[in-house]
Amino acid sequence: MAVELAPAESQALQVLTIVALAPLVSGFTAHVEARLQGRRGPRVLQVYYDLAKLFSKETLVPEDAGWVFVAGPIVAFACYLLVPLLIPVLTDFPLPLGYMGDIMGGGFILGLAGFSVALAAAETNAPYAQLGGSRAMTFGALIEPSILFVTFTVAIITGTDLPYFQAAASRASVAAALRPAHLLAVLAFFLVVLNDTARIPVESPASTTEFGMIDEGRTLEHSGPLFAVLRWGSSMKQLILYVILINVFTAPWGLAGSERIGSVLLAIPIFIGKAMAVGVIFAVIDNSFSKLRLFKITEFMAAAFLIAMLAVLVSILGGG
Amino acid sequence: MLAAVARPTTFRDVADALTLLVLLTEFAMLRSSLPRSQVRLYAFQSLAVTALAALVAARHGLGDLYVIAALTLVLKVVLVPWIILRVLRDAGTEVAGSHRLGVATMVLIALAVSIFGFFTIGSMPFHSSSLPTPALGLSVAEILVAFMIVVLRADVVSQAAGFFSLENGVSVVSLVVASGLPLVVETAFLFDLVVAVVVFGILMRVHHRRTDTLSTGVLDRLRG
Amino acid sequence: MSWVLVVLLAAPLVSVVVCAVLPNRAAQGATLVAGLLCFSLSIVLVGHPSSTALSGWLMVDPLSTVFVVPTAFLYFTTAIFSVGYVHPAGDEVARARYLRRFWVGFNVFAWAMLMAPIVNGLPLLWVAVEITTVVSALLVALEHTPGATEAAWKYVLIASMGLGIALVATVVMYYAGSAVLGSGLELFYSRMLPAAGRFPPQITELAFVLAVLGFGTKMGLVPVHTWLPDAHSEAPTPVSALLSGALLAICFYAILRYYEITERAVGAAFPREVLLAFGLASLVLAALVVAVQRDVKRLLAYSSVEHMGVLCIGMSFAAPLAVVGVLLHVLAHAAAKGTAFFGSGSVVRKFGSKDVASLRAGIVFLPWSGPMLVLAVLALSAMPPFGIFRSEFLIVAGGLRSPADAAAAVLVALVTLAAFGLTWYVGRTMMSPASLGTTSSEADGSPEPPPWPWGGLPAAESEAVLATAVVTVPRAQGEQERPSPTRGEPSPWIVAAMILGLAALVVLGIHPPAALGTLLHRAAAQLEVGR
Repeated sequence: MAVELAPAESQALQVLTIVALAPLVSGFTAHVEARLQGRRGPRVLQVYYDLAKLFSKETLVPEDAGWVFVAGPIVAFACYLLVPLLIPVLTDFPLPLGYMGDIMGGGFILGLAGFSVALAAAETNAPYAQLGGSRAMTFGALIEPSILFVTFTVAIITGTDLPYFQAAASRASVAAALRPAHLLAVLAFFLVVLNDTARIPVESPASTTEFGMIDEGRTLEHSGPLFAVLRWGSSMKQLILYVILINVFTAPWGLAGSERIGSVLLAIPIFIGKAMAVGVIFAVIDNSFSKLRLFKITEFMAAAFLIAMLAVLVSILGGG
Repeated sequence: MLAAVARPTTFRDVADALTLLVLLTEFAMLRSSLPRSQVRLYAFQSLAVTALAALVAARHGLGDLYVIAALTLVLKVVLVPWIILRVLRDAGTEVAGSHRLGVATMVLIALAVSIFGFFTIGSMPFHSSSLPTPALGLSVAEILVAFMIVVLRADVVSQAAGFFSLENGVSVVSLVVASGLPLVVETAFLFDLVVAVVVFGILMRVHHRRTDTLSTGVLDRLRG
Repeated sequence: MSWVLVVLLAAPLVSVVVCAVLPNRAAQGATLVAGLLCFSLSIVLVGHPSSTALSGWLMVDPLSTVFVVPTAFLYFTTAIFSVGYVHPAGDEVARARYLRRFWVGFNVFAWAMLMAPIVNGLPLLWVAVEITTVVSALLVALEHTPGATEAAWKYVLIASMGLGIALVATVVMYYAGSAVLGSGLELFYSRMLPAAGRFPPQITELAFVLAVLGFGTKMGLVPVHTWLPDAHSEAPTPVSALLSGALLAICFYAILRYYEITERAVGAAFPREVLLAFGLASLVLAALVVAVQRDVKRLLAYSSVEHMGVLCIGMSFAAPLAVVGVLLHVLAHAAAKGTAFFGSGSVVRKFGSKDVASLRAGIVFLPWSGPMLVLAVLALSAMPPFGIFRSEFLIVAGGLRSPADAAAAVLVALVTLAAFGLTWYVGRTMMSPASLGTTSSEADGSPEPPPWPWGGLPAAESEAVLATAVVTVPRAQGEQERPSPTRGEPSPWIVAAMILGLAALVVLGIHPPAALGTLLHRAAAQLEVGR
């Protein structure tokens, strides 16, 4: 008889997976991207080394920065710890705390994280950090309608907006997953993820020009452990968005169907494999397109909104 | 809502996807800045319409529609784009970005307009026997976006392409609600389109000869 | 009588072939013969207005005959006018090319317009109207001026978009029809009309609104009229005459076909309201613009918008009398607008300018076409004894008997206003001899307000001033000093065409033939079912 995990343990394992393996996925993506560009690139585990190095350094706080500067990254990290409780990372059945919030709730928590990072950036009085913070909030607000409409679409199709049930509905039939409304919603959400993970065409992840920075710009003034928390948090955020993209919308297969320890543990490598596959796709996109000029980013947002809106239309009148 | 009850089928999904493709191409035409790529998008859109016609023909066993699909393929996918591309090549000038407004604004306006069309038609008691009924709303939305292209773009090629794609939208409308139109009538429509395309081509050439540009910015003499 | 229909459509086509291969003389001759033949055949149709041909694809009934007659009439008279008018400049090759293009295009245009009322069924009607669009757009672009290029592009684009909507209307009407009659429907009127009572009402209404919007674009209904003044003023004058006199009527015919079906399906109240809205908008705008227009051909174009508004409002009155008036108005407007354009063409040929100011002293230098242009403009302003007076009288009389009194009152007021503007301007410029100052300033297009109409010289004095007026004939801007024109007509053909037009107007105004009266009543009865 196999050992069964208590629901709470599964839930903790979900959070742990995200926390522990997010740097791996980020590092892998960066590695693949470098390979695609013909470079040798950083090692897959480089992000872990970076984090370790940063944690061993001292923290420098700008002179006139207050407690928000310190609290911001930590609040954000806490938020990223919270979201994996709500979404199907490893199991295909809802865990007890999964009922705490629907997909909107998850969105709000992610929003709070972004907000606190931006506040911390504003606290520094450094122009580039503030610029990054305000840009991130602006574009975040612009992409928000697309997120809403994607959620509506999926909610209309599946009749619920709890991530676990949406995943179940997507899993129920391949035909249902291939319906135009669903495909459009996935496409729109894909664009949203591109934006939220600061990838090309919105932002160049390896960029060093401060003028073009959005998300990266916010963290310029942080150092040492605080910066490590921020970087860790942002790779967790990326993985969380991958989870939603994969396990809620596109490929909710390979999740643990029961609480047996073997199947839950098996779900971890399967999930990481899928996340890495998505990372490869993102790396390819990074290499195939060029970054949009800052003022053209609204066009990108408009495209995402258009697709999300069409998805709602089709699902409302078409049932499909 | 009401349609959520209907069981989706593969035919339905493919048809919906094709209609959506027609609409999305229309939006792409609205935002694409080079007339050349616009014409290519038009050819692609016509291909989607062809596929849709063939799909309906196969599903309902309508022999006439195969003929229409074949004619559409020859005329709209090959001939019409060829004519316009030739005009463009002979003109030798390129108008890049003839948008009257910012792209994001244009897309949002067109989106609002198309949603209006979608729901207006949705409230009408249409019931299609050949295609999923929402395809009607989508194609009407496409027609309205084509209108926006003509209104919001300021060069002759984009405006002409807008008109041709409007005709594509009408083709989809007729597939949805009038798939039984007699062959002779459908053929008359198609040949009329070709005549119109030729005339558009001639007038584009005339325009280019007189004004040395493809932009319509110079067309502001006649007022009142 | 089915051979009449076939010949009506074959004659212009034969003429097209002749024009394409033979030199100018033969082209003129062939067009004149074809025009005369078509007009005679249309007269034949007046007596026997119901027949079909080609297994039902061609058909006339009283309603379509009412529209065949003015089209054929204008085909004939405009052919006469063109023989005198079309003398392009340039070297031998360019002239020959221009003439060939003009005559071929002219005949194809006339053919398509004759086809529209003769073909049976809404789809073919749409096809015919679309052919008129593309052919006439090419004809508009025939003049080698920037204005013509601009007008042609606007025209073909806006009209094609409108016809795109009309095509949707056709498809939607097919849907309404197939809901009752099953699929594979040719949309023949004879099958649609008896079944129309069972058409789904909401969808028929949608089709009607789309049709009014779509064909209304080509008919020049406000707010989708924007291309019309440009195209009508920049086209070669014979084309303007056909565009204004015949093509607008053809598009009105298309709307009436939808009206016929719609009133059977949902009752007449709904289509009437739609037509009233469009008609009032057209009338208001045209009446206001006519009063400030400076280009004589644009003036006539806006007058067309006004008259199309009158047609729509006339249809909106719930009165058989008004419908008879509307149909008579179609005939009278064709004759009057044709004649007016011929006259303005004569002026353009004579003075080389389209500015209203150049009409000044026109009456002096054009002994025949000058006065006849004034008469035609008076006719357009609904003065007795011309046909438009009778038709508008019928419309207003019908309107006053109907519940829609308010609209009738508005109509009367606006028509009076528009008539006043039209008569004032053309009359003033033609009748009063020019003084040096005003002529030059108006020829420059400066926004100086025109002198008060009665500020001109007394009639007795004007004779004396005529001699001096010779030197003050305006010139188009930037043009070389041209020799002062002498008194005389540019061509007898123009005069002949205008005489025919005025004769038709007088006949329609004083005593329309009995057969025509019967025809109008039968056609009106066709439109009077859904009360």
